[in-house]
Amino acid sequence: MSVVAPNPLAEGLHDYRVAEPALMVIFGATGDLSGRKLLPALYNLAKQRLLPAGFAVVGAAIDDLSDDAFRKRATDKITTFSRTQPVDQQVLQSFLEALFYVKVDFGKLDDFRTLGRKLAELDTSRHVGGNRVFYCATPPPTYETITEQLRAAGLNAGDGYHRVVVEKPFGTDLKSARELNKIVQRVFHENSVYRIDHYLGKETVQNIMAFRFANTIFEPVWNCHFIDSVQITAAEELGIENRGAYYDKAGTLRDIVQNHALQLLSLTAMEPPVEFEAEAVRDEKVKVLKAVRPLADEEIAKATVRGQYTSGYVLGEHVHSYREEPDVTQGSLTETFVALRLFVDNWRWAGVPFYIRAGKRMPKRATEIRIQFNRPPHLTFGRTAAQELDPNAITLRIQPEEGISLKFGAKVPAAGIRLRSVAMDFLYASSFLVEAPEAYERLLLDCMIGDPTLFTRADEVETAWTLIDPIEAAWRDGRPPLQMYAAGTWGPQGAAKLLEADGREWHRP
Amino acid sequence: MAQAVNAPASGPLQWKGEGVTIAQVLDALTDFRREYAQMQLPDDDHPRPRNTVMTLIAVAATEAEEKRAISESTAIAVHHPSLAIVVRDQADVKEGRIDASITAPLVPADGVGDFPSHYELVTLHVRGGAASHLGALVDPLLVSGVPTYIWWLGTPPFGSHELRDALQVADALVVDSARFARPYHSFVGLSDTIAHAHKRLGMADLHWARLDPWRETIAQFFAPIVRRSFLSGINEIGIDYTGQGRGNRIPSSVLIGWIASALGWKLQRASGGAGGVVSAQYEAEKWRVVDVAFRSVAKPGLVEGEISTVRILGVASGTSFKLEISRAPERPRRASPDIGPLQFQHLHATGGEDDAGMELAQRKAAQHREMAFQNREQLHHVATGDPESVPQRPTVFVRERRSPDNSMVLLTLIDIGAADTLRHVQRIESTTDASLLVEVLALGARDGVYTRSLAAGADLMRAL
Repeated sequence: MSVVAPNPLAEGLHDYRVAEPALMVIFGATGDLSGRKLLPALYNLAKQRLLPAGFAVVGAAIDDLSDDAFRKRATDKITTFSRTQPVDQQVLQSFLEALFYVKVDFGKLDDFRTLGRKLAELDTSRHVGGNRVFYCATPPPTYETITEQLRAAGLNAGDGYHRVVVEKPFGTDLKSARELNKIVQRVFHENSVYRIDHYLGKETVQNIMAFRFANTIFEPVWNCHFIDSVQITAAEELGIENRGAYYDKAGTLRDIVQNHALQLLSLTAMEPPVEFEAEAVRDEKVKVLKAVRPLADEEIAKATVRGQYTSGYVLGEHVHSYREEPDVTQGSLTETFVALRLFVDNWRWAGVPFYIRAGKRMPKRATEIRIQFNRPPHLTFGRTAAQELDPNAITLRIQPEEGISLKFGAKVPAAGIRLRSVAMDFLYASSFLVEAPEAYERLLLDCMIGDPTLFTRADEVETAWTLIDPIEAAWRDGRPPLQMYAAGTWGPQGAAKLLEADGREWHRP
Repeated sequence: MAQAVNAPASGPLQWKGEGVTIAQVLDALTDFRREYAQMQLPDDDHPRPRNTVMTLIAVAATEAEEKRAISESTAIAVHHPSLAIVVRDQADVKEGRIDASITAPLVPADGVGDFPSHYELVTLHVRGGAASHLGALVDPLLVSGVPTYIWWLGTPPFGSHELRDALQVADALVVDSARFARPYHSFVGLSDTIAHAHKRLGMADLHWARLDPWRETIAQFFAPIVRRSFLSGINEIGIDYTGQGRGNRIPSSVLIGWIASALGWKLQRASGGAGGVVSAQYEAEKWRVVDVAFRSVAKPGLVEGEISTVRILGVASGTSFKLEISRAPERPRRASPDIGPLQFQHLHATGGEDDAGMELAQRKAAQHREMAFQNREQLHHVATGDPESVPQRPTVFVRERRSPDNSMVLLTLIDIGAADTLRHVQRIESTTDASLLVEVLALGARDGVYTRSLAAGADLMRAL
């Protein structure tokens, strides 16, 4: 394979991040994801001049729409959901000119052939050179049909690159994930498969790696000799927001823990990659996931907690119980809260518990990783002086107030010796001049550039499911039993007891 | 004599001193921080730590510049907690004296919950000899451990002891070459300063940041791997700029310097003519000649010196290509009865008042007529055998329809081979000094691409 020299004129521009023109086909273009996230993200990329001349979007869905009708619909969505407001009419007009629509019934090969003809026409008129991104903004059961039809219509090969983007969830268990990977890989090479977990597109998630590997002061203490425990919290004040049908089948373990929480765990626990490059980073993430000790059947009742919210008050407003939400089955046993204790069996993390908790209808929205350090080996200042002193802790706040906080002890300025914990805060928003892009903007651009670092690899997905499947199996047998918690609290009593049993307590975000 | 003037607890703290020493300013600053921390004491257990990411020293020669420095540094502080030292340089006044003030405007941080941004503003009016020793003057006030940027609002005294002294305490010098008083000499001085500055000194030019949209659009054209060979097929570059005089050619020269230095071209010859015309030749790949031409074209809405159009033409692997990027593009208007018949519009009519196809058709027709007119003698001679009789320049019935903010529109037209012209419209954000400062400081002031582009641009300017 010949190596093409980098574009010398791109040096110094957006960190060399200049995309080639491409045609992006959005399957499910009239759906929610497309309207709320993809089209607004593409508009914002256009606004930042990151979409090259020739780039075009072809919407593909079952609805019978003209180009103009699709543009009208896109205008409404962009106007409503763009992160930058007000919408710039000139940018929008220019963006809309590059928007096309083809009616595609995923079951009809002829529709894919029609799509192919449209792509060929645009390829010539827009000098795209055959580059294509197929974005499946559709439910996972459609992936097989779409990819097979793309192959049958000959749209997965030819000049330029051909990439496919699929959204999480990547399967519902190990078996289905493997099956899904097999299906997609039958048509596209793994290098061309981009599995989006938008969490990885968040600046603060990427900053975990920068914090750990761009500084010398943290890594020497980032191990079992200095760290007591790690707490990962992914709390939302929201309920299931009209996603009852989906959520009742998925539950928090599959919806949040299998992907988001384990991503945070792997970024926190991984070894330093040789370079910030797709394979090097993803190799290390897979290695650490493989080192997570799967919970044996008899441990699951002790090391996991599952809960479901009842009615209560969140942010001062009364909210209904989970079972009263629309499209939730009567007497549902689906969990809306999960707490886990996991161990990473490797040299660095031996004996350090990783506590994960994720839940809906918590008191507030907060995602953070708290690294709790050991207490000093000897209390030089005596027990009384240090009674208000907590162990050192580093909190990596992912959202909403993105930043890093370091907690340490200091002497209270008064006669005698009294110590108290103080916090040194770094706030992302107050320390940089650049506004962080929305996760989808970053990920869409990465896909066009061909950088899969922030996308999930097939073996990563499968390894994560090997950790989740035994828990799901035990839960189906009712071990441990589902616990109820009032909306607006930090989960059921069992969650607190999980840590109390280890002589610890949850940090309040 | 120093005077502490503390505002009510709800307002900003202030301190003023006349005829003070820097030691007194430093003491006041220390007291000030203690008091400020108490004032900011939140409801929980301890004051928030001071969060400072830079010291920005703004050097102002006039009252207007001082006001601008204060206004822009305060605007930056919304996102960038910092210490700003605004130095009003009055070295030409004989009587040596320093008047100082410190304020901590309560800048509400944008989108950071209820955290106010930490911002301290120190103003120093420095008269007499001390103003020539800026480094020693501000050194004691700098925040340790964070970068120090010197933003020279006017024209830095290139080559002087004063500038060298100031740069000793700085991590980077920020200038705006668009505001230089004697543009050509200052530009050359800037280039020399970079060449001879200490190695850790970064250099940023706000005017370089203004060229970003041009650079991005040009780079994007060559981004596809299949077009990479076009880079070695460029044979002509034309730039239209506004204004007269060699100072207004600087942005064009830097842009050419950027392309030439990135592609390894060597300047062979250059000359300047009347009407702001510049003609230059570069040698590419040690054998190929690339013609470069600038011309001055008046364009309403753009300030003097700004680039209005860049054209890059070439042939590679038997395929011709043309990239034309225009700022504030002229847009055609549908024929109206008072203009008279517009035949070519009828020929290419595609409907719609603001139709891209019509615009392209008009442009192509106009381009064709222009080419025919340029070759009129030869054509007419061939047609009539009479070299003395030449046709009149054709009338182009195109009227401008410029929306009020059309000056911020960038229109890209791409022609590759025989394919239809591809049209791409982008928008340039309006820039303020604050936004440009933010951009250059956020991306770092050590920009090797700028340094080499500036050097190559200066070579071209010197050759004219």
